[in-house]
Amino acid sequence: MAQTSAAAPAQGKPKKQKQSPYSGMSKALIRRETISAYCFLIPSLIFFVTFVVVPMFICVFYSFTEYGLGGVKGFAGLENYVKLFQDPIFHKGFLNTVLIVVVAVPTVTAFSLWVSSAIYKMHAIPRSFFRCVFYLPVVTGSVAITVVWKWILDPYNGILNQVAGTSGFDWLGNQKTAIWFIILILFTTSIGQPIVLYVAALGNVDQSLIEAAQVDGATKLQVFWKIKWPQIMPTTLYVLVITTINSFQCFALIQLLTKGGPMNSTMTIMYQVYDTAYRLNDLGYANAIGVILAIIIAIFSAIQFKVVKTD
Amino acid sequence: MKKKRILALMLAASMSLGLAACGGGGGSSESPAGNSETPGTSGGEAVELQLWSFNIGGFTDSAAWDPIVAAFNEANPDIKITVTPINYQDGDQKLTTAISSNNAPDIIFEGPERIVGNYARNDLMVDLSDLWTAGGSDIPEGISSVSQLDGTYYMYPLSVAAHCMAINYEAFEAADALQYLDQDTRTWTTDNFVKAMEAIRDAAAAGTINITVPGIIYCGAQGGDQGTRALVNNLYSDYYVTEDGSSYNANSANNVKALELLQGMVDEGTMGVSTSYAAADELQAFANGTCAMTFCWNYSNYSQYAAQTQFTPFAMAFPSDDGVPELEMAGPYGFGVFDNGDQAKIDAAKKFIQFVCDDQAAGTEAVKTTGFFPVHSDWGDVYEGDADAELRAPFALMSDYLGRYYNLTGGWTEQRALWWPMLAEILTTGADVQTAADSFVEQANANIA
Repeated sequence: MAQTSAAAPAQGKPKKQKQSPYSGMSKALIRRETISAYCFLIPSLIFFVTFVVVPMFICVFYSFTEYGLGGVKGFAGLENYVKLFQDPIFHKGFLNTVLIVVVAVPTVTAFSLWVSSAIYKMHAIPRSFFRCVFYLPVVTGSVAITVVWKWILDPYNGILNQVAGTSGFDWLGNQKTAIWFIILILFTTSIGQPIVLYVAALGNVDQSLIEAAQVDGATKLQVFWKIKWPQIMPTTLYVLVITTINSFQCFALIQLLTKGGPMNSTMTIMYQVYDTAYRLNDLGYANAIGVILAIIIAIFSAIQFKVVKTD
Repeated sequence: MKKKRILALMLAASMSLGLAACGGGGGSSESPAGNSETPGTSGGEAVELQLWSFNIGGFTDSAAWDPIVAAFNEANPDIKITVTPINYQDGDQKLTTAISSNNAPDIIFEGPERIVGNYARNDLMVDLSDLWTAGGSDIPEGISSVSQLDGTYYMYPLSVAAHCMAINYEAFEAADALQYLDQDTRTWTTDNFVKAMEAIRDAAAAGTINITVPGIIYCGAQGGDQGTRALVNNLYSDYYVTEDGSSYNANSANNVKALELLQGMVDEGTMGVSTSYAAADELQAFANGTCAMTFCWNYSNYSQYAAQTQFTPFAMAFPSDDGVPELEMAGPYGFGVFDNGDQAKIDAAKKFIQFVCDDQAAGTEAVKTTGFFPVHSDWGDVYEGDADAELRAPFALMSDYLGRYYNLTGGWTEQRALWWPMLAEILTTGADVQTAADSFVEQANANIA
């Protein structure tokens, strides 16, 4: 160990020796393995290309057209994009979307990690119980959850107003409170999957490293930050990216609860895509909004990859 | 590593773009309904037609069409009709998706707002003038005028009714508010409406009646917006659109006065407002007894909600300063044919429409299923002698108050999205009514051409 440390500066930074996955295999075997791999890939690749990649390019194409109910009426150039940047509803939707992402993503991630840390060491039965409890909203589905929330928040018959003694107060109809209830409901439907993932990730942390650190006198916090956190980093990255995408694409809640109101206070970019396409029948403009949403998600994902810095 | 990042970013982007592109498809400028490959569509052989029916009255499922289709098939066994029920929650989405992917249905059952205002305006519909020539002579002028665009008929109507409102009769009785309405004509003046609402508020406060709020002006979503429009327009006898159709009219002196009145009523607790309630929520609140009236009533809603009520829902016209209401037309509901480029299908579709709308036996059955009234004046009272004829009488009375139909005004779809925010702004934030109404009209007029 000491020898290596001493030799390293003299030789410059030691290069990682990459071992080829094919080392020691004959060419014929490599070819067979490669063909098998592609065979396994093809079904999902066909599905992915047909239903994701092709629509993606179609979307980009239509965003440059004047496309309504009667079909493509002509090439619009950048008109849809110019309109978008002048559209106050889009501005409002953008701000709301960013607010949802900025609040929901860290909250969901931190809360899921906190809950997982508390339950992953439990015995199998209580651990499964808590996983079930937190995963229940995911299984139940957003429509059922939304109906229950709608009943809870009803201004005249809702249980929240009954308990709070605020009969008639319209939580989802108030510009100041509506967006926060959307975030709260999104939060309850988003934490299930991260908790399950974190419980699994924490259970896979190398116990020998934890024990060694504890023997060396590390505190619980040090064990978490120095041992567990690096090992659950890939899970954290996955949770961050998935929660970010889900938050950007928050749609069902808005559609079922507020339809973007009151006065566009819960309008999001995703809901505007739907509203523009299916109510206003302005499909070219809706596609342009979709393209911009994709770019924004890509930027956010890039930032997350950069910040988390992990493979 | 870099490749992985790029791949991951592409995946993230494509997931969102994929959804955005769902509304796309074959957006060519060809005819919309590409389902012309059905075998045997020419040469007098079997024809298969797709009928998409909005949930109008009792036409809530395909079974409601079965007797009508069966009767049609007795004389036309070679025309097969498949009915797809759609509703006002997601019907537009389904139709837009179908049209943009060249899979539009052959026939649609709806009103002129969509058939003429949306689809015919986009050159998607077949000219039905020949049906009008053959059987439309006894259809009133008001209905024929809204079934056409630039002189060409695109809709052939079946039934019609008037949108009205309803009150909780027992609650009004207990609050001594019945004195403010004319029960014979089912009308009331604006002054009496205000007095009645004050009586309801006071009775609720005193515990005489178990009502949470006298009425709820819903601003949550555009379905049922005819109720709030009619309320505002009738209070001081004005119109939603100027007479020449060149401008929306919410900022006229009388409409502003009406909006100010409602704003004041909300402040005084004689009226409630909910920006999260849609018409369906308000109807449910009415049925539950939470509020004492609904602004979204017709026979169709009566049949849907009456069974849930513990009181008598009493249909009323909207209040007006002169006591002479002008109600919005519910419908006229009828048929349109999408131009799928297949003449055999178009001919078969017209034959079916003619059978349903002009054959008095089949038409009466269809009209009764909608719960409304026939557009053919020669048919008389189709409900006469029926067990529920008495229940329908008030709705027949409302037809006498039918006003102008302005739902074909340019930019109609766009202005509907502006109406709710304007109402919400005025009724929940105390905004200056004239300023909010001016802003609404300015934005609505931007699409009127």
